[in-house]
Amino acid sequence: MKSNRLTRNPIAMTGLAIIGLYLLVILVSTFWLPFDPVEMDIDHLLEGPSLATGHLFGTDEFGRDILSRIMKGTSISLIISIAATALGAVIGTTMGTWAGYLGGRWDHWLMRVADVMFSFPSLLLAIFVMAILGEKTYNVIIAIGIVYIPQFARISRGAILTIKSSEFIKAARSNGASSTFILRKHLLPNILVPLIVQVSLSLSVAILLESSLSFLGLGVQPPAPSWGNMLSSARKVMVLAPWTAIYPGLAIVFLVLGFNLLGDGLRDILDPRLRNVR
Amino acid sequence: MSEESILRVEGLVTQFSTDRGLVKAVDGISFDLHRGETLGIVGESGSGKSVTNLSILRLVQSPPGNIAAGKVLFQGQDLLQASEEEVRLLRGKNISMIFQDPLTSLNPVLKVSMQIAEAIQLHHGLGRKPAKAKAVEMMKLIGIPDAERRADDYPHQFSGGMRQRIMIAMALSCNPDILIADEPTTALDVTIQAQILELIKSLSAKDKTAVILITHDLGVVAGMCDTVCVMYAGRIVERAPVDELFYDPKHPYTRGLLDSIPSVDLSGPDRLYSIPGAPPNLIDLPDACPFAPRCSRVMEVCTKATPPETVLDTATSRSVRCWLHTKENQNA
Amino acid sequence: MGKYIATRLLSLIPVLFGVSLIVFFLVRLIPGSALEMYMGTQVEATPEQMIELQRIFGEDKPVVVLYTEWLGRILKGDFGHSLRTGRAVLPDILSRLPLSLELTVIALFLALLIGIPQGILSSLRKNPVSDVLNRIAGLLGLSLPQFWLASLMVLAFSNTQGWIPMGNYIKFTDDPLRNLRMMLLPSLSIGIGLSAVIMRYTRNSMLEVLQMDYIRTAKAKGLAKRIVIIRHALKNAILPVITVAGFNTGYLLGGAIVIEEVFALPGMGRLALYAIYQRDYPVIQAIVLVIATLFVLVNLLTDIIYSLVDPRIRLDNGARHS
Repeated sequence: MKSNRLTRNPIAMTGLAIIGLYLLVILVSTFWLPFDPVEMDIDHLLEGPSLATGHLFGTDEFGRDILSRIMKGTSISLIISIAATALGAVIGTTMGTWAGYLGGRWDHWLMRVADVMFSFPSLLLAIFVMAILGEKTYNVIIAIGIVYIPQFARISRGAILTIKSSEFIKAARSNGASSTFILRKHLLPNILVPLIVQVSLSLSVAILLESSLSFLGLGVQPPAPSWGNMLSSARKVMVLAPWTAIYPGLAIVFLVLGFNLLGDGLRDILDPRLRNVR
Repeated sequence: MSEESILRVEGLVTQFSTDRGLVKAVDGISFDLHRGETLGIVGESGSGKSVTNLSILRLVQSPPGNIAAGKVLFQGQDLLQASEEEVRLLRGKNISMIFQDPLTSLNPVLKVSMQIAEAIQLHHGLGRKPAKAKAVEMMKLIGIPDAERRADDYPHQFSGGMRQRIMIAMALSCNPDILIADEPTTALDVTIQAQILELIKSLSAKDKTAVILITHDLGVVAGMCDTVCVMYAGRIVERAPVDELFYDPKHPYTRGLLDSIPSVDLSGPDRLYSIPGAPPNLIDLPDACPFAPRCSRVMEVCTKATPPETVLDTATSRSVRCWLHTKENQNA
Repeated sequence: MGKYIATRLLSLIPVLFGVSLIVFFLVRLIPGSALEMYMGTQVEATPEQMIELQRIFGEDKPVVVLYTEWLGRILKGDFGHSLRTGRAVLPDILSRLPLSLELTVIALFLALLIGIPQGILSSLRKNPVSDVLNRIAGLLGLSLPQFWLASLMVLAFSNTQGWIPMGNYIKFTDDPLRNLRMMLLPSLSIGIGLSAVIMRYTRNSMLEVLQMDYIRTAKAKGLAKRIVIIRHALKNAILPVITVAGFNTGYLLGGAIVIEEVFALPGMGRLALYAIYQRDYPVIQAIVLVIATLFVLVNLLTDIIYSLVDPRIRLDNGARHS
């Protein structure tokens, strides 16, 4: 039933199509890339996009093919985003669910900690964590994951609290159902709706955060290509070679837009009441 | 009732387009309202009584709503043909409305005096200060204690009954010809209800304001109205002077409503009677009496064709829409 | 009102305390002591000098004592000294703070200026085509990386040197007009994303409010459409927008860090980045602390503005309705 409504929602389907396209790029890039994304080619520095040379998106200041680097960067960016979101979602949801379910002192302290975490703008928190952990690719996952923990904790806790007071839980409890049973059978399915939407939106923000960190030189380290560090190195040459800045940026925009479209469409499909979440 | 009617509604049809089809919320309503008369419109929720009255002032949300047919003649002018601007200037000046829930019907972020005064400012062309003075005067008139001081308060600072008084002050501030009160007491405590009704009654009597009182509560109708229209599924199923309706209800639905009034006499056998079933779905109504599935006196013809309106008394314009009372069946 | 502000101010104390805990202890997690890092760039020291240095770096005391001492100094306005330059941290931050704040404020202003009218207009012209277009425009705004927008703007305006100055930073107090022209592009690249968010919120909020009973009441009074919208709908519809704008000021502050780098503006963000590159932890700590405090204060300010617009909040003691 839900999948049916999904296929009939043009917004969500457009989002899915865009994401699917990127997944296809990843699949292709594991077997084949037009050029080596890392090796320099001093004969073809800063060449414009051209069919004749085969450099469809042009080359960068080391003569590397931009399309190949974007393709390679797709898997790096997506893996970081997915892993970071998963990290934040698993830890945050676990904490939020238990806090909401147990209530009392646990709940109180956990939410105070979340309040404190919310006092840091996301990008600042990610930058701070990177500064402490050091600029390694896997640290980007941790940094973004940490940003997401309080967000997921708050959403899952909120969902738990609304459901906890509702009638069917009281009914289940009066029928002698155990806590774990109630949690698994009743609560989790009901927090899934807001969580799915949050996951989709978090993926989009994760890509933006990762590319910002990499742009600042705090994320994925060269020569490994990431969209953010490609844009960073493009800054020095973009006036001469605008293509070095345009295509990696477009790659970011479309993937992020894909996740945003999916998240927005899912929100319509799953729960119209959530429309104003963001 | 010899006076000419101030408002005449003829064959009004209002529809809503929904995902599942066209809903005929109002399906061919006609009635007359005379100066100084109080007309009750009674029915369950969803019977179309509110939509009827929103249609009169063309306040039905469009889309999805759409007034598909009929005439609304105010002092001879058809409001459904008039320009938006003409209708707008009648609103609040000649025809005002009071709504069910005074909390949601008052703007939470504006001072009450300002909400009363803005209509005065608009329709009487008064400046801000005199309009506010008139608003405070209205607040006093409708019995808000300490009106000068409370004029600058916001709706949430008043009790439910006081809020409804403010709504009434707002509606009557321009001495309208017609006051439409849509379930004015439903959201209020029982003790407050009588006060509000009394207020509407005395103020309308004073200025000979005609009132259309929409309610689901026949008890309210008994004390307030001259004439009553009973609505069911978007149609008027019975129309009668109030006394006749109570002593001699013709339509089985009206009878059911009367039986549903909790009796003070607790010895009766069915003191908590309610009509079985639920109102019909208004999408694709079949050609049949819509009440037939719930009717205790259903006949074969009821499920075959829609009953026509039968006029029982032309002098009082008493009529009923039921196969039990058509000419043929009466003769039989 | 005064009481409301006072209660809200008091409630900030535990939050800021928590912020200080995080800022202090996260830095402690770094492997190797501050002294080792400091020594890493210096020549050898004699054992006597080492003991003296350990005392200066506070490595002879338990961590809790160090935290209390650190917090005490911060409260007195002593944010420590840079490991690299040896200069006091606070004056450096304070001299750069105005630029970052100006950037954020202009960005917020532009976002509201673009977003709110757009949102109102699109809520009034509601039809399936414009609905979808508005939605996509809003989502696209959310999807644009600020630093990329900034790069594109630099690219697009790189040969309009005259009107958009790109050279050395000019203070507002020195030449306000030139300063504002200089800040326009950076602010715009931070603010455009938020303007899309605000447009979306204003629109949704307007559509919701236009369905309310009190709008029907206002129409039933005979008020002109213009007055119904401006006086009755907008004032209610703006409430959630205030919250969103306030909450997203954090996003603007974060954006400022990146954008200052792109436009070579000497603000706090740039200071932070160089501190990070050089592992200058006292500077990093201080900047994070200052930005988080700012953000907390902005949220307080948002709540106060909200309570000014919504009379339902003003009179009860700090509790927020709905």
